[in-house]
Amino acid sequence: MSLYFRRRIRNIIVLGLSVGATVIGLGWLVMILGELVYEGFSGLSVAVFTEMTPPPGSDGGLLNPIVGSLMLTTLAVAIGTPIGILAGTYMAEYGKYAKLTIVVRFVNDILLSAPSIVVGLFVYEIMVAPMGHFSGWAGAVALAIIVVPVVVRTTEDMLTLVPKELREAATALGVPRAHVIRYVSYRAVQAGLVTGVLLAIARISGETAPLMFTSLNNQFFSVDLNGQIASLPYVIFQFASSAYPEWQKLAWIGALIITFAVLALSITARVLASSRKSS
Amino acid sequence: MSSMANVGTAAPPPPTVAARQSDAAGRLAEKVSVRDLSFFYGENRALKAINVSLYDRKVTAFIGPSGCGKSTLLRILNRIYDLYPNQRAEGEVLLDGKNILANGQDLNLLRARIGMVFQKPTPFPMSIYENIAFGVRLYERLPRTELDARVETALRRAAIWEEVKDKLHANGLSLSGGQQQRLCIARTVAVKPEVILLDEPCSALDPISTAKIEELIDELKDDYTIAIVTHNMQQAARVSDFTAFMYLGELVEFDTTSKMFTTPADRRTQDYITGRFG
Repeated sequence: MSLYFRRRIRNIIVLGLSVGATVIGLGWLVMILGELVYEGFSGLSVAVFTEMTPPPGSDGGLLNPIVGSLMLTTLAVAIGTPIGILAGTYMAEYGKYAKLTIVVRFVNDILLSAPSIVVGLFVYEIMVAPMGHFSGWAGAVALAIIVVPVVVRTTEDMLTLVPKELREAATALGVPRAHVIRYVSYRAVQAGLVTGVLLAIARISGETAPLMFTSLNNQFFSVDLNGQIASLPYVIFQFASSAYPEWQKLAWIGALIITFAVLALSITARVLASSRKSS
Repeated sequence: MSSMANVGTAAPPPPTVAARQSDAAGRLAEKVSVRDLSFFYGENRALKAINVSLYDRKVTAFIGPSGCGKSTLLRILNRIYDLYPNQRAEGEVLLDGKNILANGQDLNLLRARIGMVFQKPTPFPMSIYENIAFGVRLYERLPRTELDARVETALRRAAIWEEVKDKLHANGLSLSGGQQQRLCIARTVAVKPEVILLDEPCSALDPISTAKIEELIDELKDDYTIAIVTHNMQQAARVSDFTAFMYLGELVEFDTTSKMFTTPADRRTQDYITGRFG
């Protein structure tokens, strides 16, 4: 009886600790989101999306960093996705048993967790310094370097999930390997591949460090990728650390926009991933 | 491609290929001859000097306990094992007298001539129509109407047309297991192979679907040479003309099905078919 009683007590204690840990973990998330909404939501207006970043002491919006961020992200995904998908395809399909695959997977894992500031410095060295000026191209390349390992990883993982029976069945019809991959393997894990790209977008949309050494910032509206270009994370960094209340307010709004954009992407990725299982 | 095109038509066989049908005296033509075939998974020898023949337009059943090498043998005949490293075959497999294990063999063309249906139904992630048309398009450029006709013929041959004709553009994965397996057979038939390999095609199916597939095999043997691996002794007895009994990587006995199931020569065959082991 006392043994049973002690076990119940222990169960209650451990349960309490687990619930407590969960509440603390989720608590921070709720507090961050709450603070963002509280500080940022009141400032959301049409002006935020139509006006440029203002000089200190006057009103303005975030149009140039929003456009800049969209351009840099789109370009980075356009550069990084094909490289990532092709490398992942090699690893899961052609080079499944090759030594090279093991090496690439190892290097890719390192790249996946590499500090993004190192990526920024690297691109500064290979692009900004030789060109002599900061540029949007350099920013996009830096972000692309962060996209690649995420896409490589998800592509390989997803293609590994394709049942070998499916691949054998297509091969047994006399279908050449490239066709098997394109029409059977890719199709079977389409949603998973898209999820990988969405996760990569979510990952880079908040990156600031790689942009500090590459695209830097631009106070004015510019779509010229050869020059400096504004981006939301950089503007948040700059405005939040300033002493002007108008700038600080815009930093909150920018943070709110990024957070909810990423949240929307993550939810889309989740929905796609679950529709894959049910289809 | 000419050798593929004349299957199931009245056209005479091309002169380079030995006559496929039984000759006037009723002797059987060998479509596939396996000669001294051994197979290795790494160091592990899974088949030991197998000799067996698949006769033209006959059904040959391979029976034997799990792990005896039946499926392995089938996987050599279309060289699907080539997908994996460390798997190796020694000996000869002659298809119309030509060794398919030779280095110069074009694997995709070989597999278009020797089709295979697997244990688990494996529809491709595309529509029912596309599942059939996919393989056909690779080897023939057909106008739309002809392709439609080819798809219909294949689905009819696999006895599934009536069930799917109103939903050809539904996903192949939406079908039931038995329907999926018949779809896979239709897909294989559509590319007009000469030989069809069936690797336990009914093991995942209910008795009604199994009966349908057995009927289908009976019809298909008018046009195709068929090899079937099965764990079901009654099935082997029902559908096949010849039976090969394999045990521990060796071919114990190979003869007509009626002889194998009534008066087998080897003690082990007798023990197996009467259920004493396996």
